[in-house]
Amino acid sequence: MRTMKRMAGALGLAAAMATGPNIAHAADVSFMSFTYAEQAGKPSVEKMVEGFKDQTKLTVEPIGYAWGDMQKNLFLRARSRTLPDVAQLSERWLPSVASLPGLVDLNTVYGKDKLEAIFAPDALAIGRLGDKQLALPLISGSIGMIANKAVLEKGGIADLPTTVEDFRKDLVAVRDKVPNSVPYTMATKNNGSILIDFMLWNWVFGGQLIDGQGKAVVDSDASRQALAFMVGLVKDRLAAPEIDRPDARRLMAQGASAFFFDAPQARTFLRNFSGEGEAFDKNVAPIKTPVLHQGDQSTSIQWGHLLVQFASGASAKPDAPADQFLTYLTSDAVQTQFPVEQSALPVTKSARQAVSNDPYLAAWAQATGRARANEVGIWSNAAELTTIVGEEVQGALLGQKSADEAIASMQKRLATSMASARK
Amino acid sequence: MALTEVNRPLELPVSPLANRRGLRAGQRRTGILLLLPAIAVFAVVILYPFLKALGLSLFRYTIEMTAPEFIGLGNFRTIATSGEVWNAFLVTAIYVLFTTVGTLVLGLGWALILNQPFRGRAVLRSFSLLPWVLPSTVSAFIWGWIFNARFGVLNAILLELGLIDYPQAWLSTPQGAMLAVVLTKIWLSIPLFMAFFLAGLQNLDREQVDAARIDGAGNWAVLRDHVLPHLRPVLIVVVVIGVIGNLQQFDTIFALTGGGPVRATTVLSIEVYKQAFEQWDIGFASAIGVLWVATLIAPAFFYLRMLVKGA
Repeated sequence: MRTMKRMAGALGLAAAMATGPNIAHAADVSFMSFTYAEQAGKPSVEKMVEGFKDQTKLTVEPIGYAWGDMQKNLFLRARSRTLPDVAQLSERWLPSVASLPGLVDLNTVYGKDKLEAIFAPDALAIGRLGDKQLALPLISGSIGMIANKAVLEKGGIADLPTTVEDFRKDLVAVRDKVPNSVPYTMATKNNGSILIDFMLWNWVFGGQLIDGQGKAVVDSDASRQALAFMVGLVKDRLAAPEIDRPDARRLMAQGASAFFFDAPQARTFLRNFSGEGEAFDKNVAPIKTPVLHQGDQSTSIQWGHLLVQFASGASAKPDAPADQFLTYLTSDAVQTQFPVEQSALPVTKSARQAVSNDPYLAAWAQATGRARANEVGIWSNAAELTTIVGEEVQGALLGQKSADEAIASMQKRLATSMASARK
Repeated sequence: MALTEVNRPLELPVSPLANRRGLRAGQRRTGILLLLPAIAVFAVVILYPFLKALGLSLFRYTIEMTAPEFIGLGNFRTIATSGEVWNAFLVTAIYVLFTTVGTLVLGLGWALILNQPFRGRAVLRSFSLLPWVLPSTVSAFIWGWIFNARFGVLNAILLELGLIDYPQAWLSTPQGAMLAVVLTKIWLSIPLFMAFFLAGLQNLDREQVDAARIDGAGNWAVLRDHVLPHLRPVLIVVVVIGVIGNLQQFDTIFALTGGGPVRATTVLSIEVYKQAFEQWDIGFASAIGVLWVATLIAPAFFYLRMLVKGA
């Protein structure tokens, strides 16, 4: 009889889980975060959670997932009806996450005017999709070029490069004067990283991958030149195979690389990997991405971390625990601390004013140039597009096909993939 | 004595309550009861996931979809025209061929060496099992370090010997990456193959070998005419087990090359992983998985048949 009762209880619990609200509740607020899964970022998240508890007496359960697993786990949790109250996103994931049930339009919670009054316009824009504010920014910045001043000095380079031609000359100088170095740690491994480097050089040469209407447009002279330029760098040992972003950070921190592309967070990694801490900052210089011709506008990729809220019926009120948590995360108390710890720009107007004396962040903002949205990340088939671009670029870089063949193949594969894509 | 009487079955004293059919049924029931736990585990761990994957192969089911959409044989039609998937089949065939043959030759050679009487043989036999004891991902990382372009042992040795001028990116060429994953798997599998061969060699008729040597047979002749025929049953088992294991290989390849560069080491297991957990296309991944299982059926059937026959 007791067994029967237990079974009935278990079935009842299972039924309640299956039919209940589609949000997981282990504390007052559940917060899914990839920064919490990173060794360097975990203390910062714990500090935020504690700070929120001290201020509101509400508890937060942080749930950590590695950056690469975050998006997948959100979708899997949506299926099992265990979505968190609040989740941290990379800015490029917002279009695909927008289809998840229970995603709250935060304009309806806080009011559009109020949000515009608090947040810096560029930061608020990365959380907007159509006329809905589906996310609030947490930290912001761009993906741009970083130089190692100590390595440049060893290479006898006094002025930072501004054009592609200068950049190449500097790479040759570093290769010849700094033994065992990889002058430019261009991403040549990992499709996701290769995509970023190619996208930036493609823009520098005037190319585009996919236009606003979703048409693949990579088959152009500009894109062929961009890829040929990258292939030439590997051929002349100015860049090397088997380099991913983490390798680039380590080589840069060890004084074995002069340039690489990264987000502003790079400073935190470089402090850590160099073993010198803040003393290494003197070597780190955010610079404008070199341009093809003097006078061209420098480009970078929009970058930031977002916060989204899931709630039953996709509606919430400002005094709900999750919304109080969002308010706390975007308050000056957090915004003048967390983004700086992450070596990124705060997202509110007041916090940006407060940290304007940080020379690194000021230099980063100066070097950003024209920050453009990730061409691939905004599409529903972003994962497939990333694979296609990564494989074709890698094929050319490793000499398996010519740059022209790679671009032609990329165009064909992107066009096929985009046939069923949506924003 | 009449013939019929001689052939009459011996009548043993049997209890009047005994019932032959009832006894057999009882035995059958006990047998089924004993099998039940294994059947239940098999059904939950293997059968259900397999049938589920079989069903999903007929659906379009990306991670963004809340419910799968039935498309019949659509996924299989896509596979038929997909260069990437056919390339994965080809890469798998190359990988299985080289790893199986390589392990077979080196495992047999090592077993023959360890079958000879020499000082320290027992210690060497024990150390030979080391690759088998190490977790396969650890082995993959060791080999990854050996082949690493910047910090690798191989480059360091070649640079020291003056054979290369600057570090080579071994894992960045299709041939180098394939060689690395094949060598790693061979290194991992040699102990198992060696153990099989060593066990087989214990039953080799030494007198026959000695007689052959007296007749003037050299090492090669002894191996070809006596050792290999003797090891034939072991060879067949080892080849079948090797082929099945290599067809299923995932962890070392994923840890070492991730299936790259480009798709040079993307075997079927890696392709299924990429489709399911990078492209998030569960239906398409299931369809490839079904075909992958189909390739496993032939060697598995052959192996099971041998086991049953042997039994």
